[in-house]
Amino acid sequence: MHPTLLRTTVLVTAVLAMFAVGCAKKGAVPATPPPAGNTTTTPTTPNSGNTGGTTTNPTTPGGTQGTATVADLKTIFFALDSYSIDGSAQADLDANAKLLRANTNLRVTIEGHCDERGTVEYNLALGQKRADAVRDYLLNAGVTAGQIATLTKGKEFPAVDGHDEAAWAKNRRAEFK
Amino acid sequence: MRRRAPIATLLTLFAVTAFACTALADDVRLETRSGASSRMPLRVTSLTPAGDREAGTTSVQADEVLAADLQHSASFDVARAWLAAPQTATPVAEVGGKWTLRGSTIRLSGEVREYPGKQVILAKEYSGPASKWRDVVHRFADDVVLQFTGEPGIAASRIAFIVQDGRNKELWVMDSDGWDPRPLTADRSVAQSPSWSPDGSLLLFTSYRGGGGPQIWVLSPETRKPFLMSGRQGLNTGGMYAPDGSGIVCTLGMDGNAEVYRLDARGGAPQRLTSHRGIDTSPCWAPTGREIAFTSDRSGVPQVHVMDADGGNVRRLTYDVSYTDSPAWSPRGDRIAFVVRTDAGFDIWTCRSDGSNTTRVVAGGSNENPRWSPDGRHLIFSSDRDGTRSLWVTDLDGAAPRKLDIGGRKAMSPAWSPRMGATSAR
Repeated sequence: MHPTLLRTTVLVTAVLAMFAVGCAKKGAVPATPPPAGNTTTTPTTPNSGNTGGTTTNPTTPGGTQGTATVADLKTIFFALDSYSIDGSAQADLDANAKLLRANTNLRVTIEGHCDERGTVEYNLALGQKRADAVRDYLLNAGVTAGQIATLTKGKEFPAVDGHDEAAWAKNRRAEFK
Repeated sequence: MRRRAPIATLLTLFAVTAFACTALADDVRLETRSGASSRMPLRVTSLTPAGDREAGTTSVQADEVLAADLQHSASFDVARAWLAAPQTATPVAEVGGKWTLRGSTIRLSGEVREYPGKQVILAKEYSGPASKWRDVVHRFADDVVLQFTGEPGIAASRIAFIVQDGRNKELWVMDSDGWDPRPLTADRSVAQSPSWSPDGSLLLFTSYRGGGGPQIWVLSPETRKPFLMSGRQGLNTGGMYAPDGSGIVCTLGMDGNAEVYRLDARGGAPQRLTSHRGIDTSPCWAPTGREIAFTSDRSGVPQVHVMDADGGNVRRLTYDVSYTDSPAWSPRGDRIAFVVRTDAGFDIWTCRSDGSNTTRVVAGGSNENPRWSPDGRHLIFSSDRDGTRSLWVTDLDGAAPRKLDIGGRKAMSPAWSPRMGATSAR
């Protein structure tokens, strides 16, 4: 199969799989919650998009069955307030991309994390930006979309407790899970 | 004549004073700009216990709850009559009454008398289950504030917040004076950013309880059963009900980037309000429902912006300070509170809703998540100013903030409820 055609097929499969999950979960939503607001409006079954917040990893037939595990992938670090991939992060990501290309059976979730210096809400968005930036870099480096899901953890799960630059630098990261 | 003149003068003075106090109660209003306060001296006398013998035990506690409510209203400087401390200023009035316990019912016959004439200017009965005696006191305190300011106090309200235990963060609620803190979730997950529905019956919150990324959930503090409000692909954070309850604003990542959306009250029909490749987050309604404040890093670092409710007319709130986030619009509509980043974390500032008159109102340590009281006269926030992150309240009068004692727990992300039962009481 032509590489472009293969990638298109994988993408279509991924979209179909996500759609299927979305549909399947709609019926499993709990019954009517209590009334909302000071009007007669009532929040009943939330009616869309309950896909659980993560990208579903579809099965990719015919992948390379390597022996690498997620533990072999390097954690990527970021500068303050930044979600750009700098020089040393690029080298680490190139290595991760090579490993993922050689092990297409390996499925990973990229978790974006932040240090404690932003607000809760902003850091949840920034963590997603970091995870997405890592994903986009890997896709550009030839990794198939079906291998990668993304997730933000904001500043809720620091790798290191501490309130100095040494701790902050270790917490501004994207981990592979 | 020589002997009658002083008496006549006294009588005249009495009449004038009585008139003045009545006029004060009926007509004069304190300046009620958000946060502004000038305190009136007020004397609180012990409630007289009656009925069952145990009435004497709770009446002494009720005295303290009443005095604390009135002091924390920021409308009064309270002198407790049962303390020996000398009165520093002539009070405008005296507050007291009768505390009658019969079986499982408590009745408070509340009275406000002008001072020194002692003419009754407010007399009202309050009753409830004896187990909820604090609520009975709060309702009287809120009416005393109403008598002197034209707007009820906020003692009968609740505060939702987040308690951290190890890596877990659970949703909790307590009375506005810090009494009876109790958990609403037991997810052993991470919850954040609670926000009340306009009638105080529901709480929106962000949580990882679904197992994937952050999702927006809703629960009633009565039933404590969470329902999923938005669990779309990627980000689902920071939901807030519109002032009329007709919809929700929140941050979603469903289109591939953090943008502000409006949902219907059931969490459906997403309508995208922002469109920028940077981060747009932390939306907050104006009390009119016509505008939305939010944070965007479109100019480099995060800054609070304001837009019309349909997403149009986006403008940066203020150029006086840099790196601003966590906007909270006063229920009065005239001011917006927000955080400004410092070397130590964040300070809390306010400005007029047009961005003018920026004022730092809380500094020292790291101070986050400012949220207004329902009367717009106080801000609650989380701070690590004394070491452990906990909840604090400022009356915005330059005095030091006061800490809410919640048993030494690590607490954050507060949200002040609307007045509870205000609809049925008025």
